[in-house]
Amino acid sequence: MKVSLKWLQKYFDPSTGSGQALPTSAEEIADAYTFHAFEIEEIVGDLMDVKVLPNRAADCLSHRGIAKELSAILNLPLKKDPLSAPVPMLDVPRPTLLEVEIEDSKKCLRYIGAVVRGVKVGPSPDWLREALEAVGQRSINNIVDATNFVMLNIGQPLHAFDAKKLMQKDGVYAVGVRSAKEGEKITTLSSEECDLNPNILLITDANAGSAVGIAGIKGGKSAEVTAETTDIIVESANFDGTLIRRGAQALKLFTDASVRFQNRPSPELASYGMRDVLALIKEVAGGEAVDVVDVYPSRAERGTNVNVTLAQVNGILGSSFSQEDVASVFTRLGLPATCESQTFTVTPPFERTDLVIAEDLIEEVGRILGYDQIPAAELPPLRGEPDQARFRGIERVKDFLVECGFTEVSTQSFAKSGDIELANPLDKSMPALRTSLDENIKAALEQAKHYAPRVLEPKQKPKLFEIGTVFTKSGERLAVKTSEPVPVPPEIHDAPDYMPTRYELGAYKPFSIYPFVTRDIAFWAPADADYGLTMSIIREHAGELLVRLDQFDKFEKEGRVSLAFRLVFQSFERTLTDDEVNAIMEDISAALCAAGYEVR
Amino acid sequence: MNQPGRLHPITIAIRDMADIFGRMGFGIAYGPELETEHYNFDALNIPADHPSRDMWDTFWVKGKEDEGRKLLRTHTSPVQIRWLEKYGAPTRIIAPGKVFRNESTDATHEAQFYQLEGLAVDEDITLAHLKGTLERFSKEYFGTGAKVRLRPSYFPFTEPSVEVDVWFPQQQKWLEVMGAGMVHPKVLENAGIDAGKYQGFAFGLGVERFAMIKYGIPDVRLFHSGDIRFNYAFDEKKL
Repeated sequence: MKVSLKWLQKYFDPSTGSGQALPTSAEEIADAYTFHAFEIEEIVGDLMDVKVLPNRAADCLSHRGIAKELSAILNLPLKKDPLSAPVPMLDVPRPTLLEVEIEDSKKCLRYIGAVVRGVKVGPSPDWLREALEAVGQRSINNIVDATNFVMLNIGQPLHAFDAKKLMQKDGVYAVGVRSAKEGEKITTLSSEECDLNPNILLITDANAGSAVGIAGIKGGKSAEVTAETTDIIVESANFDGTLIRRGAQALKLFTDASVRFQNRPSPELASYGMRDVLALIKEVAGGEAVDVVDVYPSRAERGTNVNVTLAQVNGILGSSFSQEDVASVFTRLGLPATCESQTFTVTPPFERTDLVIAEDLIEEVGRILGYDQIPAAELPPLRGEPDQARFRGIERVKDFLVECGFTEVSTQSFAKSGDIELANPLDKSMPALRTSLDENIKAALEQAKHYAPRVLEPKQKPKLFEIGTVFTKSGERLAVKTSEPVPVPPEIHDAPDYMPTRYELGAYKPFSIYPFVTRDIAFWAPADADYGLTMSIIREHAGELLVRLDQFDKFEKEGRVSLAFRLVFQSFERTLTDDEVNAIMEDISAALCAAGYEVR
Repeated sequence: MNQPGRLHPITIAIRDMADIFGRMGFGIAYGPELETEHYNFDALNIPADHPSRDMWDTFWVKGKEDEGRKLLRTHTSPVQIRWLEKYGAPTRIIAPGKVFRNESTDATHEAQFYQLEGLAVDEDITLAHLKGTLERFSKEYFGTGAKVRLRPSYFPFTEPSVEVDVWFPQQQKWLEVMGAGMVHPKVLENAGIDAGKYQGFAFGLGVERFAMIKYGIPDVRLFHSGDIRFNYAFDEKKL
């Protein structure tokens, strides 16, 4: 959710009433949210990107919701909460100019429609244009901007249709909400052609039978508000979250409206949306609301009270909060609560659809007071030994194979073909699950042979194993695969008492992606030369490009000692040439000769 | 001349973790990588068509309609349900294993990686126990200077839910390392546990991420490429 700090500040205006100013430091604001509500992706100038958590998307995809959180966290009362007072009935005196027909009240929970006559469509006033642009929205015209502003302010998606593009029957408009027919099409406001099906809900001109919008997702081109528009029909509705989510996915149309509806905001919010948008339209475009119709077949369940005891709060959090501490959280969050013999009864406001069980309230207490207030406690000791028998059995096999010289690799579970196929593979050339580890081990061994001189001693050869899950028609199982036969093939059995070998690893040493070059050198060593001295002469003259040095041969003949070393050269920056490696080898030979070695 | 081989760094990391949690009384549990929609989502309080499903990009498996939808598990959390169904409460387990996410890969994202799930259920396990357990774990795994801090978060299967940050004194910074929380009562009930009597905590950490931080590994794609240069990119000392 993109939030403008200036917009947010309006909720805390210091110049009037009891309002107070926000902290001026962006870091202070970010920390307040991060440790008590939501992560802040970033604050750049006026723009704050808030990662609203999914359980709060019903009320916090709005500046009001974000402001309300900050108000609770910093204990700064809001100047004015647009959702605090109930909205009086919006229906204005008849004669009726608008009728609303809802086909299925499970799909459209509420529909408020208003007819506004005599608007003057034009550019928005600067404050409105700037407010929208501050959060990355494009200003379109005063009517459309008004609907977007109210949505971003309190979270209710809204839409305006050009009334004159709808048919009137006996002077009455009829808006329908119905499922699309198979094969029906609509062109959206942004000129996308959408093929519809009965899983998609439409807003229609019921007199004409034609679609004017995709419910909860996007308006249609046919009833677009333009510079010539004078009369409009304003929609503030609530549609089923699952239906909108599926529709948006099917059409690949993810809009500000669909994102909000899929999170099931309360249908109660629709009347606040209509109240605010009618007021704003009057302010920025004039005109007069001549009819408002509120069809509310699936009235939101009146928020059920949620109870939580002080003992439950501290029993879940492991805290020692007092009754006053807990009560203060509910006050700061604006949650009406009573308390009797340490039992709190909270009546969640309509917009807090996330507060359903005691644990939900316990979370509110924990986060608002701060998780830094929770002590760290050790778990009580457990009777008996924990059961790690299967794990130890698997690790025993790994240790056995490592002792036999095998190196463990881990490879991808996806394969070119197999018994189990993916419906949506990431890599289309690997659409199945592996039925065995054979191919991967074979490929890894080929690769390992190539790299062997770089990582192994000269007379060693790579031997690999993997223990991993394979998937066949008869189910999945843990397979063991070695790159060459093992004299006693290991089997995995539970091993409750086996203690897996532990290793300490040093810091990761990056390896170069460039080819390496190997060179061997053999020489007669002087009688007094020791291994360490020999190594250090070679290292000193080999320089930084030497990445590996191994002795691979040693023999004595007629009182003299012959030594042979393998040198591996590699650069992190480039491919080495034979010439430069030869030059280094000549340097090493010269240095050894000078020290009394006889290079063979 | 025979050489000893080398374990994969993931194995070494999981052994370290198994040892630390073992001393805190945690057993080790396993579950299938090819999971049902029920265990991976529904039983964990993540209903179909709920926006919270967007938190997990899922590999679905082709199958017959009537057999129920199958998928590659997106987290090790289904092991919680399977274990509780079978062994009940009280219990204390960790569950290491491979998980899958259908998202494009880069230096910090892989389509397959290892998670280690933790679960402790008893009559009086609290969020303070979670904090204490993870603090001790972090100090033993990363070093005594490590500290733990909890931030609010959301997971459908925990309530309250927290994000866990660890303080690294060398780098002088906090890093987000895992999600955790108190097991949601619905999840306990879905696994046949009396949520009126029992409560507990759960957490899930990314094993690669822990190893990357501990050893300074720059790219998660190094882990499962089958490349033995990765095994040998560390000095290794047998303990």
